[in-house]
Amino acid sequence: MIRFEHVSKVYPGDHLALEDVNIHIRKGEFAFVLGHSGAGKSTFLKMILREEKPTEGAVFVNGQDVARIRERDIPYLRRQMGVVFQDFRLIPSMTAYENVAFAMRVTNIPEKKICQRVPYVLDLVGLGDKADSLPEAMSGGEQQRVALARALVHSPQLIIADEPTGNIDPELSFEMMELLSAINSVGITVVVVTHEHELVHRFHQRVITIDHGHVISDVPGAQLHEEPTV
Amino acid sequence: MNWSSFKYLTRQGLHNLAANRLMTLAGVGVLTACLVITGVATLFTMNVDSLVAYLGSQNETIVYLDPAWDGTDEEIAQLNSDILAIPGVAGATYYSKRDVLEEYRGYMEEYADLWDEFEPDEENPFKANFSVVIRDLENLDGICAQLRALPHVVKVNAAEEMTYIFVSVQSVITIAGYVLVAVLAVVSIVVISNTIRLSVYARRREINIMKYVGATNGFIRWPFFVEGVGVGLLSAVLAGAIVLAAYAGLVQASGQLTGFWGTLLGASVLPVSRVWYIILPAFLLGGAVVGGLGSVTSIRKHLNV
Repeated sequence: MIRFEHVSKVYPGDHLALEDVNIHIRKGEFAFVLGHSGAGKSTFLKMILREEKPTEGAVFVNGQDVARIRERDIPYLRRQMGVVFQDFRLIPSMTAYENVAFAMRVTNIPEKKICQRVPYVLDLVGLGDKADSLPEAMSGGEQQRVALARALVHSPQLIIADEPTGNIDPELSFEMMELLSAINSVGITVVVVTHEHELVHRFHQRVITIDHGHVISDVPGAQLHEEPTV
Repeated sequence: MNWSSFKYLTRQGLHNLAANRLMTLAGVGVLTACLVITGVATLFTMNVDSLVAYLGSQNETIVYLDPAWDGTDEEIAQLNSDILAIPGVAGATYYSKRDVLEEYRGYMEEYADLWDEFEPDEENPFKANFSVVIRDLENLDGICAQLRALPHVVKVNAAEEMTYIFVSVQSVITIAGYVLVAVLAVVSIVVISNTIRLSVYARRREINIMKYVGATNGFIRWPFFVEGVGVGLLSAVLAGAIVLAAYAGLVQASGQLTGFWGTLLGASVLPVSRVWYIILPAFLLGGAVVGGLGSVTSIRKHLNV
C-alpha cells in the first residue's frame, strides 16, 4: 500500500529530514510510525499526502509514484485515503454532519447517498446524536471522532492518523486506538504516526521507529485482528 | 462538477456571504465607494462630451454663392446634393437672396422702408448661401476646402478657431475621462482584491482542510467565486442607486436654472433615461468581474498545499 524506496528529503537550508528511508507497509496492515519531535515523522506523512516530493528515491501509494502525479491529480490521490490530524482540522462553520459529508461532496457523490452514509458513519464512531453540533460545542475526543468519521466516510483503503491522541485524555486515547484497530480489522490499512511509546506498546502492532531522518528499527506486530465491526 | 455539487457549492457561497457578514460588509463598502467614484467620473465625462458636442453643433458654416449666378432650382438642388455628398457634412439648407432679405426684414421691422429699397432681386445686396451643419468638426479644414472647390461658391465662413477649441476641449476631456476611469478601475481591483484577500486569509485553514480531504481547486474556488460575485453585485446595486439618485437630483436642479446656464445645461445635460442603461449594466458587470476575479486570484496562494 505504501512503499518508500531509498527516500531522502532535504529542505532548503540543507536541513536533512529523511535519509535513505526504505519502508513497505502492505495492504491491510496496521503500523505505528514512532519518533520524537523533529525525527522526520511529519515529512514522512507529507510525502504520502504529496505535500512534499522526495529529494531522492520514490514514494509509492497504492502503486502510484506520488512524485509523478500531476498537481491537478493530487486531490484524487488524497481521496484514496482518510487522514486524521492531531488538531482535528474540522471546518468550524460546519456541523459534525456537514464536516463528514464534505469529504463525500468533494468526490461528487449524490446527496441521496451522502444522507444515507453520513449518519451511519457518525453512529459507528458513537456520535449519532451529535450530528447537528458545531465543533466548538464538542469535546476534544468528540471532535477527534468526527475527524475519524470524515476519514472513513468515503470508504478509503488507507487511514493515516497523525498523532491522533495528542489532544485527548489517556482514556479517550485508548478508545480512539480501539476504533482504529476495528477499522483495520476489516482490511483497511492504518498508519498511526505518534511519539507516544506507551500507547504503541499497548497495541502490539508493527512499529517503525524514525530518528533523525533514519529508520532505526522496524518491529513486526504480534497481535491478531479481532472480528470486523466496520 | 455535477449538478448536485454545483448547487451545493453555490448555496455554500451564498451562505458564506451571510456568515462572513463583516468581511462582506467591508468588501461591499470598498467596492461601492470605488464604483461610485468611477460612476461620477463616467457621468462627468459623458456630460462634458455632450456639452461640447452641443456647443460644436451650434456652429454653422455658411457657404456663400456667387451673386452673379442665377441658378435654376435643378442646379441649386444639384449643388445641395454635392454638399451633402461631402463626408462629415450632416445637413445643408439653402437660403436665396430673398430669404436672407426677409430674414433681415424680420430682425429690423422699423427699417422696412430701407429694406424696400432692395427690391427687386437685382438690387438685393445679399448673397444666396447654404447653411451647412458639419458633423465631423475635427476635419473642418478639409471639409471647408471641399466646399470652396464647389462651383459658384465664392466664400466659406466657418468659425474655425472656435470649433478647434471645442474639439480640443472635447478630446482632452474624453481622454482624461477614460484615463480616470481606467485608473479607478485598477485601484478598485487592487483594493477589492486586498479586502477579499483578508477574507480568504481568515479562512486559509478551511481551505487547507478542504485540500486534505481531496477537494479539487475548482471545488474550493467556486464558493469563493460566488461570494466574490455576490459582493460585486451587491456593491453594483448599491453604487448604482447612489449615483443615479444623486444624478437625478442634479439633473432636476440644472433644469431649474435660468438665463445662460439654464439654456446651456438644459440643452446639453443628459437625462437619467440616457445614462442609467449604461451605468447600471457597467456597474453590474464591473462589480461581478472585479469581485469574482478578486476572490479567485486571492485564493490561489492558499491552494498550494
